[in-house]
Amino acid sequence: MEPLVLVGVIVGAIIVLFVILRLLYKVAEPNEALIISGLGVRVERTETADSLGFKIITGKGVLVMPGFQTARRLSLDTRGVNLQVSCVTKQGLPVTVRAVVIYKVGDDFASIANSARRFLDQQKGMNDTIHELFSGHLRSIVGGLTIEQMIHNRDALTGEVRQSSATEMIKLGLIVDSLQIQEIEDESGYILNLGKPHAAAIAASARIAEAQRDQEATTAEQESAALKAAAVRESQIQQAGYQAEVDQAKAKASQSGPLAEATARQEVVVQETRAAELEADLAEQKLQSQVRKPADARAYETRTTADADRDAQIAKAQAEAKETELRAGADATRVKTAAEAEAQSTKARAEATASATRATGEAEAAAWKAKGLAEADAARAKGLADADAAKAKGLAEAESIKARAAALAENTEAVVAQQLAEKWPEIVEAGAKAFSNIDHMVVLNGADGMSDMFAKALSLGGTGLGLAKQLMDAMGSNGVGTSGPGTGELAKQNGDLTTRD
Amino acid sequence: MIGSRGRVTGTIGPGLIGEVLLSIRGGTEAFYAYPLNPEESFESGTQVLVVDFEPPRTVYVERWQPIGR
Repeated sequence: MEPLVLVGVIVGAIIVLFVILRLLYKVAEPNEALIISGLGVRVERTETADSLGFKIITGKGVLVMPGFQTARRLSLDTRGVNLQVSCVTKQGLPVTVRAVVIYKVGDDFASIANSARRFLDQQKGMNDTIHELFSGHLRSIVGGLTIEQMIHNRDALTGEVRQSSATEMIKLGLIVDSLQIQEIEDESGYILNLGKPHAAAIAASARIAEAQRDQEATTAEQESAALKAAAVRESQIQQAGYQAEVDQAKAKASQSGPLAEATARQEVVVQETRAAELEADLAEQKLQSQVRKPADARAYETRTTADADRDAQIAKAQAEAKETELRAGADATRVKTAAEAEAQSTKARAEATASATRATGEAEAAAWKAKGLAEADAARAKGLADADAAKAKGLAEAESIKARAAALAENTEAVVAQQLAEKWPEIVEAGAKAFSNIDHMVVLNGADGMSDMFAKALSLGGTGLGLAKQLMDAMGSNGVGTSGPGTGELAKQNGDLTTRD
Repeated sequence: MIGSRGRVTGTIGPGLIGEVLLSIRGGTEAFYAYPLNPEESFESGTQVLVVDFEPPRTVYVERWQPIGR
């Protein structure tokens, strides 16, 4: 138990000792310097010992006795300060310069000692001091340089920086690693104008080059376009040619259809026409055979029948006329014969009286002849014969009429028939005249019908009446000399009779 | 420090404060540089020999003479 506690105490003592030592031992890191001052500081460097009683430790450790010694750390790090200074250049141009200064504490003991004595408690304020310092230095630096040098001549700039700040830097124990001018604001436009000629030259050459290239490009383009246009022209000409051929062929093809159709249709029409003609011929033939021939036949038949009928009628009429005539002739002959017989008897009787009368008449005539012989010679010669004839005839007729009148008293119809028979041809002629306007007449009753017809024709109309009157007058004039009014009355009676009949 | 070789990074010449980059303390540091002969001048990139040192950061240089030349 005893030794265990002892071991524990020893271990604890060792741990405590280590912790204490750990707390007291200070180490200077590579970027810093330890400044030790206080009791028992052993200064090894003789050249500084007479004046300074502090020890500078770099890169090592040191045991610092608390309460008797102090260890202060001085950073050897690089520091940067931004500066902005309005100043004038060597040429007197006003500019505003922005710059940055990179500086550090020098690595040698002299520099560390210098800067430790100046900045140890105000390491944070070191930048302000340096800013103030370098503002003035920058003015003098810019004042010693032209703008061109500031821009282009880096060696001159760093030379100026060293020139102006070297002594003070050594005093402060600092070294300037770099001073960079970041920006020069040029109110007068000097820098702008500095670049202008070059910029203009460059721009000009650029434009020239551009124009040349553009010209070449345009030339090439235009040549290409011309070639293209020529190619297009050739192509279009060829295309148009081909199109024309195609159109021609198409038109020909499209025409050939209707043409063939028309030709076909023409032939169809020709055939149709032929067919129609044939049909017309057929119809005509049909008409000829079915209508005309039968019609002709019928017409021929009708005509023939009519002719035959007419001939038959004519023949019949002629026969009947002939028959009537013959009958009339026979009747007349019979009547005439009877009348002649009568007349012969009457004449014989009349001649007896006539001879007596003549005897007296001849005596009277001789007297008269003697009286008017001178003036009546010629008349007498002429009229004598006539008178004689007339007288003879009239006498005869008077006699005849007388006889007829006498006979009439006995047989009126016989006298009339005789008169009619005497005038028959004239009557027939007049009747025929009445019928002369008629081309074709069918008399149905034969000869009797004919007689009726004549009788009617004589009794009807002016023609018939006129004829009868004519007949009467003729008879009247014949009987004037002898009978006078007696015969006229008779004639009138006859007319009445005729009319009545 | 003295006798070391450096390279000019800022023109060293009369009336100018030049700069020399030197290998020191395991790194490189820039020092203000003056020509040992005030008439001489050294362009950037020239190799120089440090012939004098003035603490804390000033060196005097002369032209580096390569062996055998």
